[in-house]
Parts: sequence; structure tokens; C-alpha cells
Amino acid sequence: MIRFKSIISRIVILHVVAVVITSIFMSLALSWLLNYATNNIHNKAMQEQAVSVGEHLTARSDGDLELDLPLDLLGLYSQPYGRYLYAVIDDRGRVLFSSLKDHAALFPADSESADVEFLQQRRGDATVSGASIKKTVGDKTVWIQAGEDLANRDVLIDDIVADFYRNVGWITLPILLVLLIADIAIFRRALRPLRQASEIARDIGPTRTDLRLPTEEIPREVRPLVLAVNQALDRLEEGFRIQRDFTADAAHELRTPLSILRTRLDILEDQQVGRALRQDVEGMAHIISQLLEIAELDAFVIDPFEKADLRSVAAEVAEFVAPLALAQNKDVALLGAAEPVWVKGNPEMLSRAIRNLAENAINHTAPGTTVEFVVEENGTVSILDRGPGIAEDERNLIFQRFWRRDRRKAGSTGLGLSIVQRIAELHSATITVENRSRAGARFSLKFSLLHL
Amino acid sequence: MRLLVVEDNEQLAGLLTKGLQAAGYEIDVLSTIEEATSVLHTTFYAALILDLGLPDGDGLALLRDLRHRNNPIPVLVLTARSGLNDRVQGLRSGADDYLVKPFALEELIARLEAQLRRPGQLLGSSLRIANLEFDTRNRQASIDDQPQVLSARETAVLELLLRSKGRVVSKKQVEDHIFGHSGEVASNAVEVYVHRLRKQLSERGAKVQVHTIRGVGYLIAEEK
Repeated sequence: MIRFKSIISRIVILHVVAVVITSIFMSLALSWLLNYATNNIHNKAMQEQAVSVGEHLTARSDGDLELDLPLDLLGLYSQPYGRYLYAVIDDRGRVLFSSLKDHAALFPADSESADVEFLQQRRGDATVSGASIKKTVGDKTVWIQAGEDLANRDVLIDDIVADFYRNVGWITLPILLVLLIADIAIFRRALRPLRQASEIARDIGPTRTDLRLPTEEIPREVRPLVLAVNQALDRLEEGFRIQRDFTADAAHELRTPLSILRTRLDILEDQQVGRALRQDVEGMAHIISQLLEIAELDAFVIDPFEKADLRSVAAEVAEFVAPLALAQNKDVALLGAAEPVWVKGNPEMLSRAIRNLAENAINHTAPGTTVEFVVEENGTVSILDRGPGIAEDERNLIFQRFWRRDRRKAGSTGLGLSIVQRIAELHSATITVENRSRAGARFSLKFSLLHL
Repeated sequence: MRLLVVEDNEQLAGLLTKGLQAAGYEIDVLSTIEEATSVLHTTFYAALILDLGLPDGDGLALLRDLRHRNNPIPVLVLTARSGLNDRVQGLRSGADDYLVKPFALEELIARLEAQLRRPGQLLGSSLRIANLEFDTRNRQASIDDQPQVLSARETAVLELLLRSKGRVVSKKQVEDHIFGHSGEVASNAVEVYVHRLRKQLSERGAKVQVHTIRGVGYLIAEEK
């Protein structure tokens, strides 16, 4: 069983088969019809010739028969011409008259025959085809045979019959091929909405669950499939939404009790205990914020026309994290481009990515060192620290959700870098991680420059 | 000074009341937009602390309504929402500040005071870090309660830094604050004044430090 990859190829193949079969059958049928028609004409003519020969057959007074053919008929049956033949046979099979040299019958005598019969007989090299009629002349019954030597048959008619097959083939084939091309064009046109739907389907993913296939121009035969796919997408989107909302709702719901806890600690008499517990609350608050950011990122659709000044975003983040760094006896510095660096992207998202990198760097850099923010004119922002660096085999692991080098270490959620990576993905930005020549790591994000 | 807290979580409202009372404020607590709207019509409060998720609607609606009626009361929004557009939307609706839960009580009070210290607001005008104090009314700095004489520009820089306590002040902000938008400013002028101020403060025994955040700006903090 042949399996077709596409509807078009299926149509083409089946159509070609149909064309071939049709052209063969049509030619055969037509040439059979033509043969039938020419045979009929021939038989009729032979019958008429036999009749006209019979008209010149008369009975003499002694009972014998006499054949007195006029000149035109004599010419027709003359030996040199040799095309038409006649013979007259009596009821005992004797040949009374014959145009043949050897005075023979054209066809074997048959006393039981019908009034009119069409016969064919091989004579030496030639085939004689003709008619035999029964006639009573005087008191005798005779059979008058008239025939035509097929080797000498009418050339014109023969040519038509012979050429017919070829000609019919030449005419039907192109017509059917034109039909085939028309069919392909019609089908391609009919399938165009499907191709458009496929293009839309290509964009559907976890971040674009709102897309649906268009149904207006879809052919009726395919519409149930498209509708079913859309309904399946509805269910998937609902599933995604429930999951996303759950994360967001859970995080939100945790914030109020955490506020209560935090405030309770803030007004606690014993500030010694309060301080340690406050740190725990802050750690939890941090996880919740990052979970919310992830939930939001999963649902985020970036506006392709948004732009951000990477320099000012980096400066804002540096301002934001500076007090945090100073509190740990660490420093931050912003270096590089002095002018705005415009890139494609959502400023708040860029800010979150840089902030996560910066917080990470501040956590890991050694006390007394500086975390550097470097913005370059080519759309790159790098965060450099003086921490332990990232081992070669950990460079892919660090971007996984909840991955931490040291799970015992408090304050790290293992979510920060996965947020950075997700934001980079959304912006088609590249992340590079490398170790610095002396101690430390360098994380770089390269965004697409906005071409003004 | 009386503040209105609109928060539907009783526990949190109670704790906030306790904390703010300890900081010297008098507190009224309400839990719905409807109550708050009618009370704000008739009673004067120094500031409003507003939660967004309330049982009868979104706190932002109350805020928009207040601003629509030209009520200038300082509003500090408390919220569990930290989404991309939530902050922008909150500030656009007329909030003066925005705190995401959970917040430190200290932070809440600091932000509240920053609002109350703005021109036209009620709080006294003294800014303080460690043994350094600055009276914004007569623009007088004192260390250990001893009035100090500083140049006009040093005073301006100090005031700006103290007003932004705990936050970084960008170099551009300092520049604008000292020189306004008039004329050319030498590229290192700000650094020169900050350097002088730093020297003056340390010579006179102020237990504060003016940090330079390279490429970003300056930050004043208690000396460690």
C-alpha cells in the first residue's frame, strides 16, 4: 500500500492513473465504435452489391440461369481491378458464375444459411470479406456472394481507423493534463487557509496560550479538526492558567501572614530574638517575591516595540542595591557607557534580570570588594564580582530552578538565575558566564540594540 | 498626629496600630472602602495607610476618588501585589509611596515621615542620623547638639543626602540641587563639594559616612 505524505501528491498520483486509464479506454472504445461503423458500411455495401448482381440474374427458357452484367458492374469486378469479387452458387454447391480466375466460390456453400449472411474467408494471401444472399430465380434457389479483398480495401477509411487510436491519445492526454493542473491549482487554493492556520499554530507555546486557529476561511471538511484543536487549546490554556494563578495566589496569600509575623517581630520587646527571626522572614519574603516573578514571567508576553535604556536601568539597579552592599561592607560601581544605550525590551524585566544578577554577585563577592556593573555600547551589561567564581561543570546547572551549590546556606533560593535566564529568553538575549582572571565571576547579558 | 489605616486583616491592623502608636502616632482603623470614604469626608487625618485588597473593592478606587476630589492627604499604599504594572498603576492613581508586603515597620515609619516632612505637611523638620541633626526650617546642621557652620553648597548637599536617608542620591540629582538648571557646571564640581562635606563632617566628629557609589551617586549612613 502506497502511503501519501500530502493531499496534493495523492491527488496528482490518482489523477495521473485516472488520466492514463481514461485515455486508454476512451481510445479503445472510440476505435471500436469506428471499426464497428466501417464494418457496417462495408457489409451493407456488400449486401447491396450482391443484390445488384442478383438483379441481373435471369432464368433462360431451358431452365439454366444467365448472368448479364452491365458494363459498369463488369468493370467493378474486372480481374485487373481485383478489389471486388462475386460468385453465384446453386443449391448443390456448384459455382454457376464467378468473377474469380479459378471460377471458385468466395465462401463455402451452406444450404442451411439464412437469407443474408456476412462472411469472411482467407484466400491465399488475401482475406475476402463480404455478404451472401439467398435468392430464388425462376425455380432455382441460388446464393449470390459479393466480397471485397481486404488487402485492397479503401485506403482512406483504413487510414482513419489506423490513425484514430494515436490521434485520440494525443487529444485526450493534453486535455486531461490541463484538467490535472487546474485541479492542483484549485486544491492549493483551497488548502491555503490551512497553511495560514499552521503558521499561527507554530507560535503557540507555554507563553502564548491565548492564540487560536482561525476558523472563518477553513474548508468545511477540515473545520471540525480545527475546532477540536481550538477546544483542546482552550483546555490547555485553562490548565496553564490554573497552575499559574495557583502560584501567584499562593504567593499573594502568604504575604499578609508574613506581614503580620514581620510586624509582630518589629514590635517585640526582646530585639535580640527579633533580629534573627526578622532575617528568616526576609528570606521567606524573598522566595515569595521570586515565585511571583516566575509566575508572572511564565505568563508574560513581550511587546516587540518596547525599548529600554540599558544604562539608566543598570544605574537604577545599582542605586537600589548599593545600600544592601554597603550594609555588608561591600561596594558597587557602575562603569562603561556614558551615553544611553537603547535596546529592545521591557525596562522592568531588564531591571529584574540585572537586579537578580547584582544581588547574586553581592551575596558572593568577598567583603571589602566591589561588584561592578559594566554597560557597553553594543547592548551588553555585565556584573562582575570577586567571589569564588563558577566551576566549568556548574555553568549549566546554575540556571536551573531551585539549584543551589550549597543547600545549607541560608538566604539563597536558587530562583534568581532561573529568572535571569527566563528574561533573557524572552528578549532573545544571550547569557555568558566566565571566571575573572583573579578571583570572581562575570555574568553578561547581551540584548539586541534598538536601531533608531 | 492622627493617621488612618485602612486594612481588612484584623491582626495586621492591630499590630500596625500598636507599632505606629509606639512611634507616637494616634491611629484609627477601618476595614472597608465605604467606611473610609465617609470618614475621610468628615475627619482630618495627617496621612492614610491603605491596603489594596479590601472586601468591598480595590483600594485604588478609594485613592482615585480622593484625588478626584482634590484631597491632598499623603497616601501610603500597602499591598501584596508586586507585579510589573502594579507599582506604576498605584503611583499613577495618586499614591505617594508604595510598600510591598511584608515590610519592616521601621521602613513604613521612615517612608511615612518622609511624606509628612514634605512642604505643607505636618511633621517637624528635623532630620537625624547618629549624632548629626539637620533642621530643615533654618537649614542648620548640628553635631552632638552643637550648631555647625557649613558653606551654603555643603549645606545643600547635606540636606539632600539626609532627605534621601537609606537611598542613593545620583550625581545628577546633587548637581541639579546645587546649581539648578543654570549654566555650565564643571564635571567634578559635585565631587569637590561632597569631598569637602565629608572632610568637614569627619573633622567635627560626626558619626556618619558619605559613601561614593562609583558611577551611581552618594549615600549617607551611620558610621560602622
